[in-house]
Amino acid sequence: MLKLIDVSVKYGSYEALHSINLHLNEGELVVLLGANGAGKSTIFRTISGLLQPSTGHIHFMGQSIGGWSPDRIVKAGIAQCPEGRKLFLDMSVLKNLILGGYVHRKDKAGTARMLKQIFELFPILYDKKDQAAGSLSGGQQQMVAIARALMAKPKLLLLDEPSVGLAPLVVEQMFETIAEINRNGTSVLLAEQNAYAALQIAHRGYLIENGRLVLEGSSSKLRNNEEVKRAYIGA
Amino acid sequence: MPLGVMEMELFFQQIVNGLVLGSIYSLVALGITLIYGIMQLPNFAHGHLYMLGAYLTLWMMTIYGFRYWTAILVSVAALFLIGMLLERLVFRPLHNAPHINSMIAAVGVMLFLEAVARKLWGSDYRRLDSPYGEVISVFGVTITQQRVIIIVAAIILMIGLNLFLKRTVIGSTIEAMAQNREGAFLVGIDANKVSLLTFGIAAGLAAAAASLAAPINLVYPSMGAMVNLKAFVIIVLGGMGSIPGAVIGGYILGLAESISGTYINSEYKDLVAFVILILILTVKPTGLFAKEAR
Repeated sequence: MLKLIDVSVKYGSYEALHSINLHLNEGELVVLLGANGAGKSTIFRTISGLLQPSTGHIHFMGQSIGGWSPDRIVKAGIAQCPEGRKLFLDMSVLKNLILGGYVHRKDKAGTARMLKQIFELFPILYDKKDQAAGSLSGGQQQMVAIARALMAKPKLLLLDEPSVGLAPLVVEQMFETIAEINRNGTSVLLAEQNAYAALQIAHRGYLIENGRLVLEGSSSKLRNNEEVKRAYIGA
Repeated sequence: MPLGVMEMELFFQQIVNGLVLGSIYSLVALGITLIYGIMQLPNFAHGHLYMLGAYLTLWMMTIYGFRYWTAILVSVAALFLIGMLLERLVFRPLHNAPHINSMIAAVGVMLFLEAVARKLWGSDYRRLDSPYGEVISVFGVTITQQRVIIIVAAIILMIGLNLFLKRTVIGSTIEAMAQNREGAFLVGIDANKVSLLTFGIAAGLAAAAASLAAPINLVYPSMGAMVNLKAFVIIVLGGMGSIPGAVIGGYILGLAESISGTYINSEYKDLVAFVILILILTVKPTGLFAKEAR
């Protein structure tokens, strides 16, 4: 479904990603593990078109999307819940969600249906729908960010560290929700530092260090890998 | 008449005059702040779009014999297109260039527009005759119909703009991009479309303001320069990119000019803006309605 072939990304003369090869099959939930600054967000930003690869190709559903503008990539079916959430903080929760469905704005009935599903998935957002997004707690804002990405009805959902800064109990709920979104048919690429929780819901994973993918495999393989255990699980 | 009543009437007269000035300033400042909000571009050429708007209305009326309102509509529509054209031809190609390039381009556009105006219409000062020259008197305050029209039309335009930004999905994209640029990209908003639309709306507002103000001011090629400077003072005062800041800042400046012109010295009227600018930069450099740092 998604395939990155030898993708490198440069910030000026500094190469942030070195020939990344990564793929994701339809229906999969794949986790991208790595420390802060390893390059997870750079990969996500590149897939979403916010950064352009200096070399390499990105394929999505049979099309080469490298060099496409972000809005075109959303229309093609990739939505991202980015690091730092990037919400419209002065707008109501409902308006954030409606803008999340911007690419389907002509399909009013579809948007209404999607909103209903979102409120079933995140009941708390229904209660807060008329409040400014910026007035919500961190965990609730994270839900808005995920919900906003879902409103685009993506075939592939990119989640960049959805658990960051959340209370442990909320993190657990968040991962359950992500697993549910995946079971409902959306493929998910998840960037996480919280390897333990992420590997419990993911099918496969990659480990990224200093802009290079250093390890790839099934969740159980990664869970039992000494390096992953030492660095990310603390066992 | 007792002195106290006369003083009150003089005061209210200045309030009304201040509201007239403020209406014009606010409409111009709104355009600048909209563009700044989504592109972080200080459009120095905005006052010259204002000038172009005034000339087009004048032109439509004198050459083609259009009625005042028809001429304004044509002028606003033309400036809407010219605004979009500017974005597409001048500012979009500079989008990925260093910031200073767009600013210099804006200065270039300013000089270009002024030269075009001199070429087409000459350097003479012209007057646009409004069909609404009659003076009316309300509670002792005398005011021409034209000034009433300016105040009312500005309010209607501002309410209309607000409804467009808040109630329509397309309008919301402008706000979304101002609030979080990357967030807007990630929901699939086309940055180019939004920039184009914003430039069009901003230029259209400038044309409306200029056409409304033309009957009480003079029309000449460099008329945009002072309006532009003042509009920039207003958005510094109100907070760069802030829409309520542009509106309230506009009225504050209009009232301050009008009142100081009467009670201090009318020769210092244009000085007021710059005193306000210095004060605000000293006391609250981010402006009254600055968005909090995030």
